[in-house]
Amino acid sequence: MIKLKNVKLSFSGKKVIDNISFEVKPGEKIILSGKSGSGKSTVFNMILGFVQPDSGEILFDAEKLDEKHVWEVRKKISYIDQESSLGIGNTLDYLMFISELKTNAQKEFSSNRINELIEYFELENEVLNKNLEELSGGERQRIAIIISILLERKVFLLDEVTSAIDVSLKKKVAEYYLDKDDWTCLIISHDPIWLESSNTKIFEMETCTWA
Amino acid sequence: MGIIDIAFSSLFFSFFLLGIPILLSLKYGFGIIKPLLFAVFRMCIQLILIGIFLKYLFHWNNSLINVCWIIVMVTVAVFSVLKDSALKIKKVFFPVFISFLITIFSVVVYLNIMVIKLTNIFDAKYLIILSGMLLGSSLRGSIIGISHFYKSIKKDSKRFLYVLSLGADRNEAILPYLKESVQLALKPSIATMATIGIVALPGMMTGVILGGASPLVAIKYQIMIMVSVVACASSTVILSILMTLKICFNKYGILQMEVFTDFGKNNGKKRNT
Repeated sequence: MIKLKNVKLSFSGKKVIDNISFEVKPGEKIILSGKSGSGKSTVFNMILGFVQPDSGEILFDAEKLDEKHVWEVRKKISYIDQESSLGIGNTLDYLMFISELKTNAQKEFSSNRINELIEYFELENEVLNKNLEELSGGERQRIAIIISILLERKVFLLDEVTSAIDVSLKKKVAEYYLDKDDWTCLIISHDPIWLESSNTKIFEMETCTWA
Repeated sequence: MGIIDIAFSSLFFSFFLLGIPILLSLKYGFGIIKPLLFAVFRMCIQLILIGIFLKYLFHWNNSLINVCWIIVMVTVAVFSVLKDSALKIKKVFFPVFISFLITIFSVVVYLNIMVIKLTNIFDAKYLIILSGMLLGSSLRGSIIGISHFYKSIKKDSKRFLYVLSLGADRNEAILPYLKESVQLALKPSIATMATIGIVALPGMMTGVILGGASPLVAIKYQIMIMVSVVACASSTVILSILMTLKICFNKYGILQMEVFTDFGKNNGKKRNT
């Protein structure tokens, strides 16, 4: 499904990704592990075409990720970055903005579905009337999680999505993603909830090996 | 009644009014005397030169020369827009120049044909003066709009990338920034419209009245100009942004840091939005 072959990337002469190769098969849940600065988030940025490797190849569904293919790839992926970089303004308006994107025309962004997820992830309904910039880190992360689910995609790139969420809820979030057999997840997290799950495989970035 | 000419010797007396800021500066140490005198000197030279030049342009009244002069005015205007826009002039000059030229030329020709109903639509008196007025008045809005568009995407890079990750195409992702930029670009013109005639008498109206026309003729020209300024400001901003997209964004929809003047001062070689 996602394959990186001998990928290298440098910024200002400093190696950020040094000859990384790995493959993620459909339905697998892979955790990228490594120290801060080992290029984990950069791998996500490369899969989404935000940064292009200096050398090597990235393949999605066996097709090379290039300037044409990347637009289709983004429509198949749900991505949450480590800061949950949502927009600004009213939360419900932002959800509507996302639902009105051409690619999401067929997706179910109904109020019933939204309320169901709000309740499941233990948010107050009032959160929809608040401005996104007023939300706490944990609330923003849960809104980003809800968006990733509403998009009805099968591939997830999750960058520290439970870092600001209460311990009791972390398990619920992790299980939501890990229990779906047909969901392919690439996860960055230092949280034991993800690392200790029997459903996940760990890829060590520094050594380029499976743990 | 025509306008009363001012003799050059009489004009000299207007300079005595500069005594007010100079004396105040001497007393309170504002430190504005040098820049003030330099600005006054520069203004006089520029206006004398343009006065002589316009005299010949009006005398020849050659359509080709008039159009060439419009091109020169647009070139200078675009330089001043880009100088303050944080974008590299050599990267985006051509598309912005084309946007301004198309807008100004079309609006002025439209006014000359449909509103003023000239027989010679390239008449120097109308073509050049109206173009100058529109360029000068819509420039501030255009600078604000174009700068805001690119600076806000640069500042908001994570949010912008997130929208791309949601599957938005480039146009969908830039739309909120484009809307905001056009609103900002039109703010000065809308604010001016709200107070015109009460708080300030605009230059053109004053000029037409001093030239001997009735105030009613003057307001008709002024209304035409104000409406055209809004049209020009919105059109120049939208066209400039749309025409620079291909240069400023790569084929992956990512804003290129190389287009900013501060690129290389504190960025890496390829870290984009």
